[in-house]
Amino acid sequence: MAMITENSTNDPLRDALLAKVQPAELVEQPLVTNDRDFNWVTDKICRIVETPTPLWWWVCMAVALMTAAFTGLGLAWLVSTGVGVWGLANPINWGWAIVNFVFWIGIGHAGTLISAVLCLLKQGWRTSINRAAEAMTIFAVVCAGIFPLFHVGRVWFAWWLFPLPNANVIWPQFRSPLEWDVFAVSTYGTVSVLFWYMGMIPDLGVLRDRAVQRLQKGVYEGAGILAQAMDIFRKYFYGIFAMGWRNAGNHWRNYEMAYLILAGLSTPLVLSVHTIVSFDFAAAQLPGWHTTIFPPYFVAGAIFSGFGMVLTLMLPLRALYGLHDLITQRHIDNMCKICLGTGSIVGYAYIMEFFIAWYGANPYESYAFINRAFGQYWWAYLMMFSCNVFTPQLFWFSAVRKNAALVWVMSILINVGMWFERFVITVTSLANDFLPSSWGYYSPTIVDIFTFFGTFGLFSVLFLMFLRFLPLMPIAEVKFVMPAADPHGHHDDGKGGSH
Amino acid sequence: MSTDANNASLNRFGSIALIVGLVGLAIAGLGFFQGYNSGDVRPLMSWLMGIAFWLSIAVGMLFLTQIWYVFHARWPVIIRRQCEHSFAAFPVLFILFLPLLLVTFSGDQAGLLWKWLDSSNQLASHGTVGDDPLYQWKSPYLNHSFFIIRSVLVFAVFIGISYALRKLSFDTDKTGNINNTHIARRLSSAGLFLCAVFATVGAIDWFKSLEYHWFSTMYGVWFFAASMRAALSALIILCIVLATRGYLKGILKQAHRYDIGCLMLTFTIFWAYISFSQYFLIYNANIPEETFWYIIREKNFNGELNSWWWVSMGLIFGHFLTPFLILLWYKTKVVVWRSVAIAGWILCFHLLDLYWNIVPGKLADPDAHGAGYLVRQFSVNIFDIAAVIGVGGVCIWAFCNSTKKAEAIPVRDPNIENSLNYVE
Repeated sequence: MAMITENSTNDPLRDALLAKVQPAELVEQPLVTNDRDFNWVTDKICRIVETPTPLWWWVCMAVALMTAAFTGLGLAWLVSTGVGVWGLANPINWGWAIVNFVFWIGIGHAGTLISAVLCLLKQGWRTSINRAAEAMTIFAVVCAGIFPLFHVGRVWFAWWLFPLPNANVIWPQFRSPLEWDVFAVSTYGTVSVLFWYMGMIPDLGVLRDRAVQRLQKGVYEGAGILAQAMDIFRKYFYGIFAMGWRNAGNHWRNYEMAYLILAGLSTPLVLSVHTIVSFDFAAAQLPGWHTTIFPPYFVAGAIFSGFGMVLTLMLPLRALYGLHDLITQRHIDNMCKICLGTGSIVGYAYIMEFFIAWYGANPYESYAFINRAFGQYWWAYLMMFSCNVFTPQLFWFSAVRKNAALVWVMSILINVGMWFERFVITVTSLANDFLPSSWGYYSPTIVDIFTFFGTFGLFSVLFLMFLRFLPLMPIAEVKFVMPAADPHGHHDDGKGGSH
Repeated sequence: MSTDANNASLNRFGSIALIVGLVGLAIAGLGFFQGYNSGDVRPLMSWLMGIAFWLSIAVGMLFLTQIWYVFHARWPVIIRRQCEHSFAAFPVLFILFLPLLLVTFSGDQAGLLWKWLDSSNQLASHGTVGDDPLYQWKSPYLNHSFFIIRSVLVFAVFIGISYALRKLSFDTDKTGNINNTHIARRLSSAGLFLCAVFATVGAIDWFKSLEYHWFSTMYGVWFFAASMRAALSALIILCIVLATRGYLKGILKQAHRYDIGCLMLTFTIFWAYISFSQYFLIYNANIPEETFWYIIREKNFNGELNSWWWVSMGLIFGHFLTPFLILLWYKTKVVVWRSVAIAGWILCFHLLDLYWNIVPGKLADPDAHGAGYLVRQFSVNIFDIAAVIGVGGVCIWAFCNSTKKAEAIPVRDPNIENSLNYVE
């Protein structure tokens, strides 16, 4: 094989061709707008955790805590009474518990997708949103874990899910996808926490250094002793977790390498978790569950709902903290487009399922789908289809994407739709299964409703804590995609940024 | 236009490809004719495989081009132009597909390839297609006129979108009109959905319906995954040939080859993910209506492993494990001969994957009296080779011919400099 010569200067063919190169001008919005400088970025992100706690945070925290109490109450009721307090009964032995588990696990997909997959794809726009999305991932996994954990009944024996050697040689059922979930979700949770934490180390170092500098300069006149005490706390809190980060060249080199390795490890995990979750259903023979497209369809749905939740969280934050120069219209456009793409993939799967249910000529399969759309749960199917397939189609229009309030409402609708998708899959297939004499209608109990409702509070509590104590964005990575960081010079031509 | 010297060598290469292609098509056509006269379906399958192989490459390139537009990708701009030239193969493929459609109009042999097209065809078990309740159920979809309409529509969508994208890109070379890029991005957004739907329809109609009892919701995704692998492998070979002997000399960089290699690795994993998921879910549920499709690809009616078992093992180890392990290495993606070798390897196994999807089938066993069946076994014959070379030769000619119509790289694309100066 002949060698490929790169950048030869004496090739007349190449030179003649390159002489014709005259790119048309394409103006693209930069990823950090208003010609901000590096210092502004550091200050903007750090001040979110350094300034006194705003009133809205306290209000939100109070509401979130009260809401989370519902989960506490629901779980206390369940543990003290038994799993029977959930509305599970033959033939619907899986109800809201698995629906809520899959719902939260799905939401937990966007963070690692943004951090890992978009990192591997060199998508510079991810930098403004990845930290918050990763935090969201971890908190969503926490919420998800509650449901299967308590569904085992005697939660204090939940550790039996792990294959631990024991005197009676009792092992979990390795052939069950539910057992695979234990490994998939715990691995995913562990790697996500590692990824999130490791990405934060340089920023924790910045927060530590800023606190130390303030302490050294003694800039607390009129600010009171509390401000100084907080900086002493920051010096040690961030100092411990920054693990000796000194911004040295070899620190950055190791950091970049570790980040890339974790991105490589996380990418298959993003896919594997929801693939295993899809196997919970698809490995069965039940009509409506047993269909081969489930793995990629579940993964697409998870990304869809995850991005829906990112939009739900980031749009208010953008307004509250004045982050419009960091989370620009371009970021919102991209997230909306990902929702459009993944929502349409989900729509493809809905249609393909329906078509093959007919094409397969299996009357039970056909019935399952007709029953889904027109049976006793028609309203759930309608909610699912309209929220997941029709709603994101509005994102084709830039006027819709530019209307932040409308995008926010639509992002909530996406998550409503995705919850209903899991409800439709789980409940409709079980409610009308192989034995018509036992067909039933599933209704959640008040304990189901309390437990699920409260998880939004728990999620919010954790997220608010994150906002208050940890850096919302990776400072250095945001700087890297700024127009000012363009090595070819910054001429305010709008070309800086992503590759 | 490219320089005269370049044009001359491409012209010469195109002419040789055309001659080789026509010879190949003549041989495959002879088989087709004989098969048609004698009622032997195998040479028609050779023809279908020849088209499926090159069509999957073109379809994959169409998906890639649209994905690049949608993602506003900057690095592959110079590679995108090679895809645009490759789109010239679509009309050729449609013309070559017509004989298969024409056969469906012949009275006695209408159901030679797609057996459900002839209601008097004998089934492997007992009875005829017309008596088969499964066929009767599916006949609103699986009927002749709808099949023809769908087949034409599938090609119309591929040709329409690919030619619109070509035109926009070629026009930018001359005018530098930025609106072309904006329109191409919008067209690609909508085009991806259309292509996803119609590629699925094509895969169901042309491949899956060969064994019309079988069904799988994943099948369209399998075709997409297979097409992406084939397209990326063909693209890296094409770009390296053009960089060593053609107009990409000194332009295609290691960074471009590396990124294509990364995509090859990605879609190797994706193909395995899709293929495994489809297999596993059917295996695990163990429902006879579905498992028979895999069983005939493993063993005969009497339970003995058949020739397809070896092909299946070949796909697991040759089409997934080997390229997966080799593509993990950085050097595979940047050392020229290694890239070409692994791309060639993947293309060979992609063809084997098409064999595996198209050729096996249940045949009536005259001695079993309805209590058993035969399986059409794996074989490679002269018509298979001739069809792949024949269709390929004409497609390569169409590519070479297209290179005369535009610059070698999109010289006025807004991102051309990002692509030319791309580094890892």
